[in-house]
Amino acid sequence: MRAFLAILRKELAIHFTTPVAWVVLVVVAFFSAQVFAGALDGFRLLVTRAGEAPGGAAILDRVNLTDAVVARLFGSVGLFLVVTTPFLSMRLVAEERRAGTLELLLTSPVRPASVVAGKYVASLLVLVAALVPVSLFPALLSLAGRGAQGGGAVEWPTVLSGLLGLLLLGAACLAVGLAFSALAPAPVVAALLSLLVLLGLWLANLFTVGAGSAARNLAAGLSASEHLSPFLQGRIALADVLYFLSLCTLGLFVAERAVEGRRWG
Amino acid sequence: MIEVSGLTRRFRDRVAVQDLTFSIDRGEVVGLLGPNGAGKTTTLRLLTGYLPASSGSARVAGFDVFEQPMEARRRVGYLPELPPLYDALPVRAQLAFASELKGLSRREAAAEAERVASLTGVSEVLDRPTANLSKGFRQRVGIAQALVGDPEVLILDEPTVGLDPFQIREVRDLVRSLGGRHTVLLSSHLLPEVAMTCTRVLVLHAGRLVGFDTLDALVARHLPGRTVTLEDIAFLEEIFGKLVSPA
Repeated sequence: MRAFLAILRKELAIHFTTPVAWVVLVVVAFFSAQVFAGALDGFRLLVTRAGEAPGGAAILDRVNLTDAVVARLFGSVGLFLVVTTPFLSMRLVAEERRAGTLELLLTSPVRPASVVAGKYVASLLVLVAALVPVSLFPALLSLAGRGAQGGGAVEWPTVLSGLLGLLLLGAACLAVGLAFSALAPAPVVAALLSLLVLLGLWLANLFTVGAGSAARNLAAGLSASEHLSPFLQGRIALADVLYFLSLCTLGLFVAERAVEGRRWG
Repeated sequence: MIEVSGLTRRFRDRVAVQDLTFSIDRGEVVGLLGPNGAGKTTTLRLLTGYLPASSGSARVAGFDVFEQPMEARRRVGYLPELPPLYDALPVRAQLAFASELKGLSRREAAAEAERVASLTGVSEVLDRPTANLSKGFRQRVGIAQALVGDPEVLILDEPTVGLDPFQIREVRDLVRSLGGRHTVLLSSHLLPEVAMTCTRVLVLHAGRLVGFDTLDALVARHLPGRTVTLEDIAFLEEIFGKLVSPA
């Protein structure tokens, strides 16, 4: 436990003294703001047009801020996480190997599982930090919508379920990235490999144009974006939670084996 | 304190270390001498549990390195060939981190960092990032790191490589002062290096142990009448030391 905490603290110190974590935080926040502004604009346009058109009231009944703005924003944040987390995770083990510091860790009375766990939890904390500004946007909507008709403009249960989905997605991405960091000979290789795999998982549901229904089902089952979207609509299904947790488990297992297996190289 | 029996390590098609058997007593400072590629680093990595052995056994401080790795590692301080330092961390955080890995509490680790820093003369750079250190300081911080937790056994891989003669002498004096309290095994490819610090010498060639004795005995056996050479080298280095540090 002591070693785990020491590694966790050391990792956090390194995350925030090197630029990578800051860049990820800024990139996620900046692009989220862009998407948020765009979605909000789109929503305003929709509401204006619907108000002018005949039968527009029926349309207005079926749209709301949470689905039109927050779910859209979170969907994009999902992609941002897929693209940025490989850069958070690339260093975790590969850099230690390159710098020779892995030799310190592996000759200390510390189990590889503690090494992997400490590194993973530290990167999760960076992920949580990246999601804080993202969750400010619905809070902003809620503040701005206060007093407007209908009271609370934002459905918080849906927002929270969306944030949970993003957290699970990010956690799975980091676990996959950690596994590649433990396997790859250099951080850049780890980043590219995990980016490739994660984008593949994210887009898997698109690769099936013209394929049979069995292939389509399989692709949808593998697709990270398919498993994220129910969360964004406020539905937390066991199957989706298990999907992300299995990716986490698999990534951590491979990472632990790879760190342990370093000795056998 | 260190007992090795039939230790062998193969890398795919190559035998790096073959059938090593030796034992080192408590408080000894022993040199592991051999040309580059003789298997010195592999031997030390086997003893620290970084590499598993293909066959044979090794006990350090009474614990089997491969069967009871946690117990053994708690009692070993190790300086690898390249000091394993995190560029992003200040020396103080680096040493405290290494202490915590050895099982010390945060508070103990902070005090331990100060203690080993003053032992190795790196107190003045405690708050500098390790990335900005000169090679001599990096090496000494590496030795300081090996000393955290006051391990019974110290394993140092080429502790003086890349240093200038003056720094070499400092590190040599430091290592010599560690003997007695710690059992030290250090590797080198320089005979005079080993001659001046070690009580006994292990000579490794092509992965095999070709000699294990006191230096005097080795010299007497292989170079009768040539002991003077070593003194000559010491003499030259002393002159260099005086030139670079006017006292």
